[in-house]
Amino acid sequence: MNLRPVFMLFALVFPSVVAAQPGAGPQTARVVVAANAFLSTLNAAERAKCTFDFSGSQRTGWSNLPTGIVQRNGLRFGDITARQKDAALALVAAALSREGFVKVTNIMNGDEVLKNAGGGRTGGRQGAPGPGRPGGGGGRGAGRSLQFGLDEYYLALLGTPSATTPWMIQFGGHHLAINVTIVGANSVMTPSLPAAQPAKYTLNGQTIRPLGQENDKGFTLINALNAEQRKRAILNYDVKDLVLGPGADGKTIQPEGIPASQLDARQQAMLLDIVHEWVGILNDEAAAAKMAEIKAGMAQTWFAWSGSVKNGEVAYYRVQGPAVVIEYAPQQGDVDHIHTIYRDPTNDYGAKLVKP
Amino acid sequence: MRVPAVLGILLATLPSAGAHRLDEYLQATRLAIHLDRLDLELDLTPGVAVAPKVISWIDTNGDGEISGAERDAYVRQVLSSVTLLLDGSPVRMVQGKTHFPLPAEMGLGVGTIQLRASAKVPAAGAGFHRLSFLNWHRPGLSVYLVNALVPVEPRIQIGEQRRDRAQRGITLDFTVAGDARWVWGFALLVGLLIGGRWFVLLRGAWKARASGSTLGLVQRSFQTIRMRGSVYLLNRRGVPSTNSARHKHNIHHGA
Repeated sequence: MNLRPVFMLFALVFPSVVAAQPGAGPQTARVVVAANAFLSTLNAAERAKCTFDFSGSQRTGWSNLPTGIVQRNGLRFGDITARQKDAALALVAAALSREGFVKVTNIMNGDEVLKNAGGGRTGGRQGAPGPGRPGGGGGRGAGRSLQFGLDEYYLALLGTPSATTPWMIQFGGHHLAINVTIVGANSVMTPSLPAAQPAKYTLNGQTIRPLGQENDKGFTLINALNAEQRKRAILNYDVKDLVLGPGADGKTIQPEGIPASQLDARQQAMLLDIVHEWVGILNDEAAAAKMAEIKAGMAQTWFAWSGSVKNGEVAYYRVQGPAVVIEYAPQQGDVDHIHTIYRDPTNDYGAKLVKP
Repeated sequence: MRVPAVLGILLATLPSAGAHRLDEYLQATRLAIHLDRLDLELDLTPGVAVAPKVISWIDTNGDGEISGAERDAYVRQVLSSVTLLLDGSPVRMVQGKTHFPLPAEMGLGVGTIQLRASAKVPAAGAGFHRLSFLNWHRPGLSVYLVNALVPVEPRIQIGEQRRDRAQRGITLDFTVAGDARWVWGFALLVGLLIGGRWFVLLRGAWKARASGSTLGLVQRSFQTIRMRGSVYLLNRRGVPSTNSARHKHNIHHGA
């Protein structure tokens, strides 16, 4: 039976139904439609694997590590059909901005490159199929305990997709953890962990740097500071990893570096531009609201740097304000292996919006 | 659990890179300052290459299993390698909750030992304080992070933080503001005393009015207050006054 007309009718009619509900915005309506479209592609067993209680432990149990080290819950991309995978990615795309979705797919493709290259060994095959297309073995060959690559991304839905009640999209795999909490017209993407290894690769003749802007904009800002400002911003110690990585929910460290109040207007704009690299992964509507909130807290926002100020060399930086924490941390002195974290100390998992 | 067998398989199949540590032992410390307590959170993550060594420090009898006693012994070893000074005096940390990952997880460079400890300290008085922390545990192959958490109590404000380059240690200054409850309590007491005095005066005035000599009584009451004030000022200044005797006399006689 051809279900395409039914799906199309559903897709045409459902947004207006959702939008008519109190509290729903057009953005939320789009995501709810995409979520329901995805769920409609699943059978009962798949649904059971993919859906969780909103308030359960799944919410905070995310990780950026390869499968085999952590057991991810949700629907594994390697276990679903191409049509289901398309619907899953359409849902992720609906929740994010266009640039954000490109960033996410670049991270995923990078992980496939890493897998094909033998887990970082030189001489491996370069190039990888994009998300949604048939991938490789996902590192699940015989005797392999670490599994990553395109097949090892998981999608989970927490709660029921709704225009009014809280629910959550959890999407991630190796080097990626995207947590989007949706409450009415609001979307929140904290905490999330976009990372990259390799930080630079070639795919279909194109050079791709999934976190290239995050790197370059950081170096541009530190080099735009005068000597006095730089002296305050640069920490006199090494930071070799994320301070508030996975598992550090609810922790707020004492800010350090230079307060944004000591930056001029141009430098503050550059700082906001850096922040937007993370905030702007989420859909434009929610990102604009978040940026306004972060801008309002600029006077209490800090910028800290550790390491070289020469682009291409190892450096860590952190932006910390009342409603944002961002860390950019090369791993073990390797500029080709970057971890980052994006948090909101006041609103991780939509804490401000979700009534206990 | 048989550590070497599992670990051997895992190491043999391990890609050379990934989101896991390699040849470092990451020791991440977070310090939380409270008015009467210091909390220490120490997360220890051995990298793939150093995990067998770290496991051998914990699994001291080498039977491939990490027993409860071995865990406790390792926690004691770590805590004894940590120095904490508050205002120059050593602080004794007491072990709290701990979590040990499976040796296999540690072997993959992602297992984190979570060690929690705290120390009761004398209630920090208002003013300046200095906390110093130094981690001596296995410096040969470790990398360190150390941070202070933003204090939960708003009376505590963290000031300057100083670390060594490797973040093995931190010295941080903090101030404790006076307890606003005492200030408000004192203000309330003074207010009650003044209010009480006025109540007595006004009640007297009311009674005098009832007896037809209101104005005279109120005038006398104000005069009494003025005189007492003068006496107080004179006594403070220590200047003998010819009037003071008279004032005292008047007061004595309830003028």
